[in-house]
Amino acid sequence: MRFKLRNTFARSALAFGFALAVFTSSLQADWPQFRGPNAGSVSLDSKLPTKFGGESNANVAWQTKLLGRSVGGAIVIGDQVITTSSSGMDQRRLHLISVNDKDGSIRWQQEFVARGRTNCHPTSAIAAPTPVSDGKYVYAFYSSNDLACVDLDGNLIWYRSLSTDFPKAGNDVGMSSSPIVVDGVCIVQVECQGDSFAAGLSCQDGRILWRMDRPKHSNHASPVAIKLPSGEQVVVMQSSQDLLAVSPKTGKTVWTMDVKCSTIPSAMAAESRLFVPAAGLTVFDLSSVGAVPSKLWDNNKLAANACSPLVVGKRVYTVSRTVLASADLFSGELKWQARLPDAKSIWSSPVVAGNNLYIFTEDGKCFVVNLGDEKGEVVETNDLGESVLGSPAISGNALYVRGVSSLWKIAEK
Amino acid sequence: MFAMQSIHSSIAKLKQTALALSIGLGMGVTLQAESSPELIKQLQSLKSNDASNEIATNTIKQLYAAKDVTIIQSLTAMKGATPVGRNWLMGLANSLYRKSGKSQTAELNKFLSDASQDGEARYTVFKWLTDSNSELRKTLLDGMKQDPSPELRYLAISEAVQAKPDTQELLSLLDSARHAGQVVSIIGVLKEKGTVVDQVKQFGFLTEWKLIGPFDNVGTVNFDKVFPVEADWMDGKVKDEYESKLVVDGKNVNAKWINESAKSEDGTIDIAAIYSNEKGCIIYAAAEFDSEKEQDAELRLGCINGNKTWLNGKLVMSNEVYHTNMKIDQYTETVRLKAGKNQILVKISQNEQKEQWAQRFAFQLRVSDSTGKAVLAKGK
Repeated sequence: MRFKLRNTFARSALAFGFALAVFTSSLQADWPQFRGPNAGSVSLDSKLPTKFGGESNANVAWQTKLLGRSVGGAIVIGDQVITTSSSGMDQRRLHLISVNDKDGSIRWQQEFVARGRTNCHPTSAIAAPTPVSDGKYVYAFYSSNDLACVDLDGNLIWYRSLSTDFPKAGNDVGMSSSPIVVDGVCIVQVECQGDSFAAGLSCQDGRILWRMDRPKHSNHASPVAIKLPSGEQVVVMQSSQDLLAVSPKTGKTVWTMDVKCSTIPSAMAAESRLFVPAAGLTVFDLSSVGAVPSKLWDNNKLAANACSPLVVGKRVYTVSRTVLASADLFSGELKWQARLPDAKSIWSSPVVAGNNLYIFTEDGKCFVVNLGDEKGEVVETNDLGESVLGSPAISGNALYVRGVSSLWKIAEK
Repeated sequence: MFAMQSIHSSIAKLKQTALALSIGLGMGVTLQAESSPELIKQLQSLKSNDASNEIATNTIKQLYAAKDVTIIQSLTAMKGATPVGRNWLMGLANSLYRKSGKSQTAELNKFLSDASQDGEARYTVFKWLTDSNSELRKTLLDGMKQDPSPELRYLAISEAVQAKPDTQELLSLLDSARHAGQVVSIIGVLKEKGTVVDQVKQFGFLTEWKLIGPFDNVGTVNFDKVFPVEADWMDGKVKDEYESKLVVDGKNVNAKWINESAKSEDGTIDIAAIYSNEKGCIIYAAAEFDSEKEQDAELRLGCINGNKTWLNGKLVMSNEVYHTNMKIDQYTETVRLKAGKNQILVKISQNEQKEQWAQRFAFQLRVSDSTGKAVLAKGK
């Protein structure tokens, strides 16, 4: 993973060879995957404008119109903002596009034709999963189960049609689980009523290193990598039938639990805890070495219909329909709820910069909510005038928003 | 078996080449690797499996390093390539185009105008050439309304419809259109202009069906169960009635064949309406298709429930999927029709989901050629 040094302290820390843990909060990582580093959705050091877009186009550094549509998010790798799109007849054309961070110009494009099913709900797109990068390559996955790996110049490294391998894999509402990369393995979760599976593919050449059957039920949640106390990285996957952790290199089950999880919002880990959208929100203890995580608490008032949870400080935040909830990280006690006024449906998972939460509605409004101890206050409502369904990315002091048909960079002018 | 041997042989050959290269380079000797045409041929025949990926990842690396490989070589090889191979070749072509494509406009124009080349490759070239040239785009699309490339044809017709043509032109576009959504859209525009098109005939939906059921599927466990009616159908000797799942006044009621005609313009048979929204059940629907001649065709099914379809006793598709979507041409399979009467049987399986959006129980089926144009039964 590539890091950018953002301030003097960080440079000094590096110079003195401090442990990584000391200065991670002062280093601004790339935003390499769905929900960013560690799938945390948070960039505490970033300073984003609260007011942007609208008729004045305030604080819009650039907007780049892109061919086709996408409901996935963008990622940021170095000075490239990378996103996917699907266009043409039945959205069969699958695009992977790199945009220059500096000015929004297109740096390179790569393109394929879908070999799997291209039916989806009208609000969705075949370009639904967010791409992922290990800093060397970019891995783009689509609802049609086409998976492509390109280098940072857009050259194809390898391609795999998982629907050719597993012809009954697919869902005519649309698949949207985003891939992750762990220990040189690209992990995809393809759960549907047909050929339902999860697999780990070699980042080097796309060989399937392991594959496991998964419940034959539609699932749109994404896998998440977490680090166990032993230092071992595992991949956590959720479904309506189970919650399990597997080894990224072998697919061997590390632990499994009979937990009926949500099938749209995805789990995340913070503070040695695993936050799972199940029975509202269910939190598991990740601090015990070698054990199946024990449940710490659950709270059905923290249910999320689409947005993944996130943790800031001692609070966990969830979104149910148009209500943002804040709860104590340790007890699950609900601290406050804030209704997002006149909000339409929300599919995009929120992100946090500093002490402000940014959440986009399907009709392109962005509520900026100041996260207080006692209440959440909507400090600004912005309008990009374009449908947004993907979760935004943050890098430095900029917010990158993948609208359905364009890419935006929001930064203080 | 032959394909596997071929792959193993290719891997062995590739490994030998890599080994020879590494030895050669180590000794300061320059060795000749495989030529670009040979490497491109490897991409052309790729399957989707681990062995192919191992080969292709190395092959494409060599092609990036080769000085003699051209965009046109890569695009031309897409013709006759496997679907997986076409995407590898397209990936290569995109990289080559970024490096030198702008200087090869003449060659690319020539390639695009050759309708015998691969349709996906030609569509890619079309976009390269017209990306920032709207005049050229319009000129080219004007001549592509009957292009063999489905994507180019679709785009050409879309643009033509947007230009608000008159009724005669719309009818001509309808005749050229093959994409189901586009056909429905043009019929809609024509209707607004006062011209009603028989959509059922346009698509070639089968409208006359014999239905029987409901048979037990409680727990959604009988999708693969061969009910007596199914077994008898395969043997070509169906009875008039069979034991059903229905119980009336404590007694099992036999199911009898009923005749149903599709009444909607999309040829849908609304099973839920016919069988009082019965859940956890299976219905069989039978139809006859009288083909003018022995011919290749496609059965195109739209169904929001689990489904299996047989043609003349042979299973042609099976989809155990419930309530994700239903659209025209949702499931498509190539078949060989015999001259005369062909027997079609569809098994439709309903589960017991209670959600409001999971109550539909319906299907539609049509016969078309490989482009999507209706193949009509004799006398229709």
